[in-house]
Amino acid sequence: MAHQAHSYHMVDPSPWPIFGAAAALLTTSGLIMWFHYSSTTLLTMGLLSMLLVMLQWWRDVIRESTFQGHHTPTVQKGLRYGMILFITSEAFFFLGFFWAFFHSSLAPTPELGGQWPPTGVKPLNPLEVPLLNTAILLASGVTVTWAHHSITEGNRKQAIHALTLTILLGFYFTALQAMEYHEASFSIADSVYGSTFFVATGFHGLHVIIGSSFLTVCLLRLIKFHFTPNHHFGFEAAAWYWHFVDIIWLFLYMSMYWWGS
Amino acid sequence: MYYKFNGFTQRLVGAAASTAYNPQGLKPIVSTESPALVFGTTTKLASDLPATDSFLGKNQVPDLQKLFQSDSKADGLPVHLKRGVPDKLLYRTTMALTIGGTIYCLVALYMASQPRSQK
Repeated sequence: MAHQAHSYHMVDPSPWPIFGAAAALLTTSGLIMWFHYSSTTLLTMGLLSMLLVMLQWWRDVIRESTFQGHHTPTVQKGLRYGMILFITSEAFFFLGFFWAFFHSSLAPTPELGGQWPPTGVKPLNPLEVPLLNTAILLASGVTVTWAHHSITEGNRKQAIHALTLTILLGFYFTALQAMEYHEASFSIADSVYGSTFFVATGFHGLHVIIGSSFLTVCLLRLIKFHFTPNHHFGFEAAAWYWHFVDIIWLFLYMSMYWWGS
Repeated sequence: MYYKFNGFTQRLVGAAASTAYNPQGLKPIVSTESPALVFGTTTKLASDLPATDSFLGKNQVPDLQKLFQSDSKADGLPVHLKRGVPDKLLYRTTMALTIGGTIYCLVALYMASQPRSQK
């Protein structure tokens, strides 16, 4: 039987990359059909196929690692680099929106009344729900670290408790933010203030939802004994992502909510 | 020169003597032996899961490891089909959706590129 003389993972042929690309095509063209022709068929197909591809691709990664043992330390190092690079790219993504915000707010145009917030815009009070949301995310950063320590110490029950608490805090944040969106006196159409605010906080909210989903999958895997005290990179990746989401919120809070009000 | 293991970079890095003599993760020895059974009351078997630990059942990872690594399945099945019927169903559904969707997309884009007929 042939054995490889290196510690890298030569994956089995897989259809998910090309199906994922097709799903991206369907989703983007679906958006066009929705915007211009009021038809949601393509968009639905796109989102559904995207979901199916993600489920099966990541299911396969779990099979290859936890069940087949292909994730050697070398492979894990590559995955660490990959996650760091991905999070860095997300940081640049948000950097763009912060740039837009500061471009418009540092030198408000006459059309805005020469002031920031623009004339007539009543910003949200940073010391009310936004402050609570800050506390929630900071607390969730603590609980996810607690969960990590519990995993490395082999304390499964405590790890499950801590991770569940983290996820609940994430849901609480999302619910409060959704309520804030509903109650805000301004909308995305209210000048560049509305645009910068809702696009930046909106993408942040999307990342909170993505992070919560990632953590939920980790919780399920934790319950199913997938993680060992020494090898639990999936959880670490989720925790890194969650800390990143927290830090982006802190910048959002300090610049848009506090300074910008 | 003393060294410690940096969990973030996964490498050994230099450390002070104090760190070397107090290794990370070393916990004081705690006895893992259960306290002596008291036979005055009904004794539970160790194999009965106590209520506090019955968190959604037993560890099925070793069984799944056997399933995915078994040489009897060295029939060349790729990992995305290793479990047989449920995998095949999901794969075929995804394929139908993506390939069918791509064709529908091309048709829709073709139609959208036609000049609008006079109304």
